[in-house]
Amino acid sequence: MKWLAAMLVVGGVAHADPLALRADAFASTAAPAGLLTLSADGDAGPGLSAEAVVWTGQTTATAADRADGDVLVIALHARTRDGRINGTLGRFVATLGALRPVQVDGGRARVRLPYAIDVDAYAGIPVLPDLTTSRSWDWVTGGRVARRIGDWGSIGAGYMQQRTDGELATEEVGFDAGAALGNHDDLAGKLAYDLANPGLAEATITASDRRGALRGELYATYIAASHILPATSLFTVLGDVPALRAGTTWTWRAAPRLDVAADLAVRRSDGDAIDEPATAPATTVGEVGEVIAPAIVLRATLRLDDRGASALGGELRRDGAGDSGWTGARATARFALPWALSASSELELVVPDHDRGLGRVWPWVLAALSRTWGPWHAAVALEAQASPEDRSRLDALAQLGRTWGKP
Amino acid sequence: MRRLALVVVLALAACAGVLGLTRSEPRPFPHRAHVFAGVTCTRCHVGIDRDDGTSLHVPDDRSCIECHSKPHDSHPCLGCHAAPNALPELADARAHLVFDHKTHTAPTRGDCVRCHVGVAESDQHLRPPMATCFRCHDHDASRDARTCNACHRDLEDSATLPETHLAHDGDWLREHGTRAASSGDLCQSCHRDRFCAECHGKTVPILPATARFDDVFAPTIHRAGFESRHALEARAEPGACTTCHSPDRCASCHTSLGVAGDTRRSPHPPGWVGPTPADNAHGREARRDPTACASCHDGAGQSLCVGCHKVGGVGGNPHPVGWSSRVPLSSMPCRLCHPIGSRP
Repeated sequence: MKWLAAMLVVGGVAHADPLALRADAFASTAAPAGLLTLSADGDAGPGLSAEAVVWTGQTTATAADRADGDVLVIALHARTRDGRINGTLGRFVATLGALRPVQVDGGRARVRLPYAIDVDAYAGIPVLPDLTTSRSWDWVTGGRVARRIGDWGSIGAGYMQQRTDGELATEEVGFDAGAALGNHDDLAGKLAYDLANPGLAEATITASDRRGALRGELYATYIAASHILPATSLFTVLGDVPALRAGTTWTWRAAPRLDVAADLAVRRSDGDAIDEPATAPATTVGEVGEVIAPAIVLRATLRLDDRGASALGGELRRDGAGDSGWTGARATARFALPWALSASSELELVVPDHDRGLGRVWPWVLAALSRTWGPWHAAVALEAQASPEDRSRLDALAQLGRTWGKP
Repeated sequence: MRRLALVVVLALAACAGVLGLTRSEPRPFPHRAHVFAGVTCTRCHVGIDRDDGTSLHVPDDRSCIECHSKPHDSHPCLGCHAAPNALPELADARAHLVFDHKTHTAPTRGDCVRCHVGVAESDQHLRPPMATCFRCHDHDASRDARTCNACHRDLEDSATLPETHLAHDGDWLREHGTRAASSGDLCQSCHRDRFCAECHGKTVPILPATARFDDVFAPTIHRAGFESRHALEARAEPGACTTCHSPDRCASCHTSLGVAGDTRRSPHPPGWVGPTPADNAHGREARRDPTACASCHDGAGQSLCVGCHKVGGVGGNPHPVGWSSRVPLSSMPCRLCHPIGSRP
């Protein structure tokens, strides 16, 4: 795979026109210690294009999943002139409607049929890190049929099946819908149902209204953890309390340079255990209760110039309840300086409700200086924190990037 | 109350410039005054009617000096007399739009304002919105075929954000999955595959929040001190982690940090496993968040559970009431606890 990646990248450099190439070097005293990423895009005519992102570097991951290099994306895209048929071959992230995204080595195709019907399908081998070849009898395939409704909406239904070592790991059907209702309102929803261990795996619905500087959204999400796990995992047989979150998000351009946002939600999830009678037989597995917890985010961003090159931001958060509750504050700042320099800083304070001896406040701060000149971009930063893992820690980060062939 | 209102008014007045309520230097170009003075568009934007799509046709100082014979200083005129974003927006449009003024001069009969509506009031947005194009150009075929490149060049690298459609406002990070579910192909008209893979790929070396650490306003996942918060966030929303990460992701990191795996101390509290339900917290915790257990005990670690919970074992039946599965008993994970010949 490494050789294929290198050949495609180099081949793209030689033949594709126009071609864009980007190289980014990243170094940090925290993991990963050093990283070089190469990205390339090439168009070989109106219906054929290719893209690739490969990386190599030294990470501090454990021996089990250590990777010295890998391919993030390497894909060849082809489409007919009218756009009715298109396909991709290579490594990519397959996303189909409500079905969960899967990174695969394989192919996908999309056909736009008469009567506003679209058919999508993909098949391939699920990607594992580190260019591993020990993937016999691992495969995933999925498809989706969708119907566009005028120019204001669509509905779709999809199916996917994934096998690991030939055994059923995931089998799911998904349904999705989206609509623009009038000039101000949008509605979208998706639902995934686990067929391997029958039950609702994930569902989301969102409705928004936008009028001038004000936008409001109502949403609800449902996630059943045991249905998200692969069916080959023993922990799918336990059942669980699904996490349910419902809330509303409001964004308001209060002034030409001032944006204010609020996300007010409640979350129902796992709670304290229900007391079981002492006479209960020792062979029963404990039942769990449910709690309603707030999830609140208040945010404001003030641009200090019309282009937003300099800006200030603030954020307050309150999340969870019981042993998972916490309160946080975050402040961000960016200042444009002479000579194309930019200074930015970010500060976060997290106060857990129950510190468990891991510190009452977990501060995190970053100060960065960056410069963009022509095709070059460089940045350095210092990051300091006190976390449950480290009483105090200081890291340095650096990044250098260059682009070739961009307009 | 009156005092509070006074304070608010004074504060707004003091901050009016910062909030953008009043214009500061540089100012928008006074197109309106020039129109009233009888200056035609092409007198300053020389040659724009013959534009072949390669030049910006922004007036230089010589055009201004033809009338304004006494400049007050030696700085370039548009350095102060143009909205700060006007010239960069024009350059971006020129680089990323398939457009020339020459072919539009005849159909519009040279009426620039027909497309550049509002230019008299301000030059904040000289580039007309896309809806203006649709007054004359049929867009249905391109929209249905998702072929934006009839008009747009290299959309992903363009600074253009959709304003009238697909506006990425609100909490887009949370919302994008639901929106993309029904219009994923539309996303691909601007975003390439690597855009999704940067977060959803299994082979991601670092997340965008780390790679672009200097962009502190970017709405990316796992921002700032996420490492500190991740245990709390994972407990608050079980399953949320597993929608992107495989459970072994947790195990590999926890093992390297010594909080799981082959360590001498157990991370579990006293009373984790015991003979009575009161001493048996692990069952309740497992049902609270099975993904948390899977993050360390999946794979070979499953044998810990099987020892007690297999059919006939002292741990009893771990299935919840009404639980069902289509997985054959001979397959994983059923066969771990249900040996061939045992009851279902």
